[in-house]
Amino acid sequence: MKITKPIARAATLAFAAGITITAVPGLAQTVDTARIEAGGGNDWPTYHGNYKSYHYSTLDQINSSNVKDLQVAWMHFPGRSTRGVQSQPIVADGVLYYTGSYSRVFALNGATGELIWSYFPELDDALVARQTHSPYNRGTAMGDGKLYVGTVDGRLIALDLKTGKPVWDTKLVNSQKVTVGFTGAPLFAKGTVVIGSQGGEWPGRGPIFGVDAATGKQKWQFLTAGGNDDDTAAKKTWGNDSWRTGGGGGWMPGTFDPATNAIWWGTANPGPLYDWSGTDYMTKGARPGDNLYTTSVIGLDVDTGALKFYHQELPHDAWDFDSAVGEFISIDRDGKQLMVHPNKSGFIFVYDRKDAKVENVWRLVDNINFVKDITPKGELIGRRDFTAGKQDEVLCPHISGGVSWNSGSYDPKNGLYYKLGQEWCMKLNVVKTAAITEPQAQLNIGANFSIAKPPNGEISGHLDARDPITGAKKWEVRFPEPPLSSVLSTAGNLVFVPDARGVIHAYNSLDGKELWSHNDGTGHQGGIVSYSAGGKQYVAVVAGFGGMATDDYSTQFGEPYKSMPKDTGALIVFGLK
Amino acid sequence: MIRMIVTACAAVFLLNISTVAAQQAPAGGEPLDGETLFATTCGWCHADGGREAGKGPKLAASERTDEFIVQRIKHGKEGAMPAFQGTYNDEQIAEILKYIRGLKDDPG
Ligand code: HEC
Repeated sequence: MKITKPIARAATLAFAAGITITAVPGLAQTVDTARIEAGGGNDWPTYHGNYKSYHYSTLDQINSSNVKDLQVAWMHFPGRSTRGVQSQPIVADGVLYYTGSYSRVFALNGATGELIWSYFPELDDALVARQTHSPYNRGTAMGDGKLYVGTVDGRLIALDLKTGKPVWDTKLVNSQKVTVGFTGAPLFAKGTVVIGSQGGEWPGRGPIFGVDAATGKQKWQFLTAGGNDDDTAAKKTWGNDSWRTGGGGGWMPGTFDPATNAIWWGTANPGPLYDWSGTDYMTKGARPGDNLYTTSVIGLDVDTGALKFYHQELPHDAWDFDSAVGEFISIDRDGKQLMVHPNKSGFIFVYDRKDAKVENVWRLVDNINFVKDITPKGELIGRRDFTAGKQDEVLCPHISGGVSWNSGSYDPKNGLYYKLGQEWCMKLNVVKTAAITEPQAQLNIGANFSIAKPPNGEISGHLDARDPITGAKKWEVRFPEPPLSSVLSTAGNLVFVPDARGVIHAYNSLDGKELWSHNDGTGHQGGIVSYSAGGKQYVAVVAGFGGMATDDYSTQFGEPYKSMPKDTGALIVFGLK
Repeated sequence: MIRMIVTACAAVFLLNISTVAAQQAPAGGEPLDGETLFATTCGWCHADGGREAGKGPKLAASERTDEFIVQRIKHGKEGAMPAFQGTYNDEQIAEILKYIRGLKDDPG
């Protein structure tokens, strides 16, 4: 991949003055659907890199032979980083956009870190105090001259890409009542901004929205718990009208497939997280039935929100191993158009891209015992459906998942998928609970539990290099504590892994040999991208610990986690000497 | 003998009623049992029902005053624990406090 010549020094001034400068001659000056589809190269125009969701950079200025010379080029501190920095930066035309907690948005000169604009929305502080995991934010989307960001108090905001001035601000969810809001990044496609709300453990209906990018008006809504009003079939999969408090949600951005005009989205779990039905889950327990469309991947028409296809990865999810991971990797192989999607349980599902028919299922992690297996056709064998009370055998994986919500990376050059797996389990005591919706929705967990070692070993994590379709393993790197961040691979034969202790590692993507590392000073649990600005390639990563999964690290591993702050973080950008 | 059976039946009957009530409680004031409330909203972070340190601190054998515990439940702590003031009334918080005070200091 060629890197274009340096942007003039005046670029920053020009940006501030609102003049668009494009670093890629010949490409449209605005970011639109076609540009996101082609995305890559100098830019990183959408959360997952482009619609193929490879989290891969075609740049190779930084490569396996010179990565030893990588050093910090600049840093940025978003401040007030409650629960750390979890955001995935996006980049276009040499400008990097990222968010901190409380949906603070920054536009920075990608070469120097100089501020172009910032935007701090005013949030409902009393509400924020009542929410569980927030107020972190995981990123933005861009398109049609605007940048889009969600807020934990239920709004989607559009900012002028050049000035940061709000263009529209739409309240989509009554968070004051349902408690949930938006923490995940939106997705832009064909003039529609798609964003999904939190859900799962909060008794609501887990809506996903399509919003008109030009006006901010809601175009459509899809209710993941029980489907939309006319969908009686889906409601029949929830005994006793339990869909009313079913949870669901879709809190990570999925992707867009231009071939079917469909948004692929992963949905969250039903609530309560754990059920006491025993094996008769179709007729007994808190939410008898399959509980559509929770823990599913769904295909929605981007223009209308109509459900085109779906696959429920775990019917009647009784373990909180949801499908909310937003990673949908488009790979064509042997005449088949495939979509790869990790389920939180550590099983990786491979779908036919036209209709979400299951083509294969493989295991990324060793410690899985909520089922005996999931067949290559997607059928669950030997489910463990609990009754109330203490469970004798630990449940694996732990509630933090076999994989995190962060993304792996697919290198189309060598055909390898780089993905982090987590080995941990939990002791579980299932308790019959009732959904609380008045005066304001509250968590509905349905259990007490604690983290536990896997039956045959210690808690650990691993970076795997695998075939994304078959799961065949080429190499792996083990970590004593599971890394939780996203992974980046590049055409320079590199894989970058920002780990939980705060060290970012670069490995040779062909054999997993470590080539470089740098201590960022605090744990990672967010995004990583590569881009080019002023003719130079950069790698940008966020550091800053404090998400729900990180909360167990202090008691489990001691230092450095015991003293690791959960209210700080930075964006750290690396370039060659 | 007959009386004993009747009592046992009544107890079972009562138990059933309370389970049904707990499952169907529309929310708000119900249910009132501190253990259930804890597993609904607290157990994720306070491991093993509050007996072990996890995401949040161990609550069994806490040396904190009742006042401190009640205030923490009401106001939470930003970035660590949600505020439950808007959800639970004083009676429910008192039930949760009772549950916490009743926890034995032996994880298992
Ligand atoms: C999202 C996780 C989370 C949830 C849910 C949660 N807590 Fe906490 N809790 C914490 C954390 C973390 C702390 C430590 C706060 C600090 O002092 O930094 C804490 C502190 C406390 C304390 C004070 C302990 C001490 O000795 O300082 C009490 C009491 C408590 N929680 C009770 C509850 C109860 C009761 C509930 C449910 C109604 C609950 N918590 C729900 C995370 C949580």
